[in-house]
Amino acid sequence: MRVTVDVKGETTHEIDLEELGTAGGSDGRAEPTYADLLGAVDLSPHEVSVLVDGRPVPEDQPVDSDEVTVLRLIKGGSA
Amino acid sequence: MDCNRCDEEAVMHAAYSGQHLCADHFRESVEKRVRRRIRRDDLVPQDATPEDPETWVIGLSGGKDSVVLTKILHDTFAEDPRIELVGLTIHEGIEGYRDKSVDACVDLSADLDIRHELVSYAEEFGIEMDDVVEDDPENMAACAYCGVFRRDVLSRYADDLEADLLLTGHNLDDEAQTALMNFLEGDVEQIAKHFDASLGPLSEREDQEEFVPRAKPLRDVPEKEVALYAHLEDLPAHITECPHSSEAYRAEIQQLLYDLEENHPGTRHSILSGYEELAGIAAERYGGDDGADLRECSECGSTTTREVCRKCSLLESLA
Repeated sequence: MRVTVDVKGETTHEIDLEELGTAGGSDGRAEPTYADLLGAVDLSPHEVSVLVDGRPVPEDQPVDSDEVTVLRLIKGGSA
Repeated sequence: MDCNRCDEEAVMHAAYSGQHLCADHFRESVEKRVRRRIRRDDLVPQDATPEDPETWVIGLSGGKDSVVLTKILHDTFAEDPRIELVGLTIHEGIEGYRDKSVDACVDLSADLDIRHELVSYAEEFGIEMDDVVEDDPENMAACAYCGVFRRDVLSRYADDLEADLLLTGHNLDDEAQTALMNFLEGDVEQIAKHFDASLGPLSEREDQEEFVPRAKPLRDVPEKEVALYAHLEDLPAHITECPHSSEAYRAEIQQLLYDLEENHPGTRHSILSGYEELAGIAAERYGGDDGADLRECSECGSTTTREVCRKCSLLESLA
């Protein structure tokens, strides 16, 4: 499956899940996770939120959508 | 994947705890951590009464962190007459950036019905950060100027508002970065000051009569979770990066921490936990060494260690 990863405000990537899988998901599982998808576009799960159909998803779960939105965290300037 | 606590679908996974949580249980977990931190840091004094309430001034920038902090503090204390909340927003004069986040602050304060004060560098100092960055007389990063001016405004207005506490929305990532930076710089005295200024429980801090004490009740919550909380609560947080932001060393430490956290979940928590304990020990060691050098700035009268405070000398070089 090809997945469109839309990093909001930046670029859109097309990732082939099979290639990701054979490259070895980070934990060796057959099904690549959203974290693997982030790894493929050089992002850490700690600096983004992953949304599918507008809903946040846990990054350790297998990818089951062909469209994924990634929101980068914005430094708040806390005060 | 279901939530660990109910049958709802999980919206997040916290690798450091192994938990998958649904939206409701995630929100509950964030709120619980903030309230626990308020208790552990002794932020509500025993002698606070409805007749003599505490005034808590929140540094409200309109970014996700301060907006989430304000919301949780409001939900926690709205029915508690011992605590009065005031949002304080600073407009630095950054076109196209701060205008929108000020709107977020005004909206949030109106929604929550809390007092809101807006001050600007233009009115306070006759400067705007966009011009400061252009002039740059000291050849420094924008954040170095802005931080000096912000601290001055926050502490003066905290005084004017008779604040008992000044609260900021620093999250776990912010504080773990600062901890690591102070450690790597080998500045133990700075670590001790960090404890007395904002990290230590109020009852254990060295008395600092010259300054309103600070607190960071969001510092047990990772940045990602703060953002998720704002998203799930649909809070009016402003989501644009400051165009002048350029803290290169902090960015390097941040990347290092992302990598460590990925391979060793819980690293940020353990860094901060150990740092706080060490900071407490350092504060005892350096306790009482500090106050003797403090004096009044000859220009503006603020408390400083110099003849002329840093803010006044920066304003002089910008004139």
